[in-house]
Amino acid sequence: MTEAVTRPQDFSPAIRRWRVALIIVGIGLLALGGWVLLTDVKPQQYIGILTWFLGALIIHDGIIAPIVFAIGLGMRRASSRIPFVVLVIVQGALVTIALLVAIVVPEILKKSIGTGNETLLPLDYARNLSIVVVALLALAVVLIGIVLRRGAKRSKAHFATLSDR
Amino acid sequence: MQRLLFELRQRLAAPSRNPRMAVVLGRLLGAAFLLCFGTGLYSHFLQEPLPWMHFPTRPVGLYQLTQGVHIVTGIVCFPLITAKLYAVFPELFQSPPIRGLKHALERASIALFVAASLVEITIGLLNTYQWYQLFPFSFRQTHFTFSFVIIGSLAIHIGIKLPIIAKYWKKKDSYDENGDVVPLDRVTYSGEDAGVFEPVAGELQPVGGVTGRVFRWIDRTPEPPKPQASRRAFLATVGIAAAAIVTFTAGQSFRILDSTNILGPRKNGIGPNSLPVNRTAEAAKVLESAASANWNLAVTNGTVSKVFTRADLLALPQYEVQLPIACVEGWSQMASWKGPRLSDLVDAVGGDAGATIRATSLEQKSLYAVSSVPPEYARDELTLVALELNGDELDLDHGYPARLIAPGRPGVLQTKWLSSLEVLA
Repeated sequence: MTEAVTRPQDFSPAIRRWRVALIIVGIGLLALGGWVLLTDVKPQQYIGILTWFLGALIIHDGIIAPIVFAIGLGMRRASSRIPFVVLVIVQGALVTIALLVAIVVPEILKKSIGTGNETLLPLDYARNLSIVVVALLALAVVLIGIVLRRGAKRSKAHFATLSDR
Repeated sequence: MQRLLFELRQRLAAPSRNPRMAVVLGRLLGAAFLLCFGTGLYSHFLQEPLPWMHFPTRPVGLYQLTQGVHIVTGIVCFPLITAKLYAVFPELFQSPPIRGLKHALERASIALFVAASLVEITIGLLNTYQWYQLFPFSFRQTHFTFSFVIIGSLAIHIGIKLPIIAKYWKKKDSYDENGDVVPLDRVTYSGEDAGVFEPVAGELQPVGGVTGRVFRWIDRTPEPPKPQASRRAFLATVGIAAAAIVTFTAGQSFRILDSTNILGPRKNGIGPNSLPVNRTAEAAKVLESAASANWNLAVTNGTVSKVFTRADLLALPQYEVQLPIACVEGWSQMASWKGPRLSDLVDAVGGDAGATIRATSLEQKSLYAVSSVPPEYARDELTLVALELNGDELDLDHGYPARLIAPGRPGVLQTKWLSSLEVLA
């Protein structure tokens, strides 16, 4: 059997055909989006849309990405001192909380500014978010406790042969 | 600069950042986007139908379902897109940043895709809070435009990444015997396409200065020791975050989650007649006209015209129906409505069974002051000119003296504060 050397551009014909088809469909839909933009959206709104568009890129690429990078570095550094499982639980809790905060904080702000009627945003979102956050943190602490106790028991049983790195 | 980017990219490597993870998350996110797109188009065409379009009136909760799915899926995109971007994060720092025209176009299409997606889900979320002041554009048209941009750039993205997607589609092809992800560059094909290609590896020289020290410091700090567990934990986190968001908000659309709905922008049962309100009589500026003792409903068919006072409407055969009010913003609630059938009123002026009805509100200068009721809804026995809601007189904020209610239509088309009905030729 001969071993052929495949380069990235040498994909199977089926993949290449699908690729071309998808890109053509994609360009068609982009063109449709452009047409809707030109016909349905008032030109004086273009600048506002562009602002939001660039804002999203700047906030994501320029602010959130570096922060996440820095947190990742910190976590990795901590990984030499903190057991892996603990780190994972803390990470999971923090990510879940961050996402909930990102979704609910605008809700809290909008409610404080005032809504069109009292059936819109009728709940006490600041209180409810706090409850959820505290519950998630408590859950994380309990999980860490369980994991550490299990780890300690296991180490004992094996005369500390399985030490955490 | 190129080396710096390359170094940065290498250093960002983490067990959960690999092509297999990108494919797993990409599938979920792609499905979510298509679901949002499909349900969004359905909602759009219900409101702006093309001439040949006909819509099903059953099940009565169809729009409640499609729009509930639209909003819940949209909100689930927050954890999914965050995870997806995290998984492919190093791509942001790829080096060289641009490798010719084709590569520039590819990266531009990614920038378009990412930015449009982020804007789309963010304005969608803010719209459910009715925070329109933040938009220097009309929500509806912009949300509609971006949906095509997103699905278009999604198709292009899938096309470009197809070889990677195909390679990492199945779990068994993605990991080697040690449970490590098969490297992207050394593709081993089985079967007809058998072969291996080696990466064109660039030798890296040590970097000096501050960046060099930063990277050496990162190098000294070990990677998490358990890549497999690390990947599982990552997916579990995404799942838990998505589940938490759905649990605490989706009750506004799906009754079964009502008891855990503590963060949703609407709550079942809160409002006049135990039903939330989208647009109040005050906001619609109909406080006087709707409460006026001289109110009547004009029903016309060409030259034939009849005027009904509220007492006249109450004197007609009354029907009680269970129909949901389902808003484009995703919240919905079942309610009990009572009043004469729309078809009885149309028959009273000799309207044709195949005719579309134009319902006009007392509200002036609003997009929703007028609605068109196609024959499939106008002739439906569940479509009422409602006078009562949940056992009481219709509240002013719910459209007193009379409003339209039909099965399977968005709330904005259930015209409130009716002033006239016209049979269109």
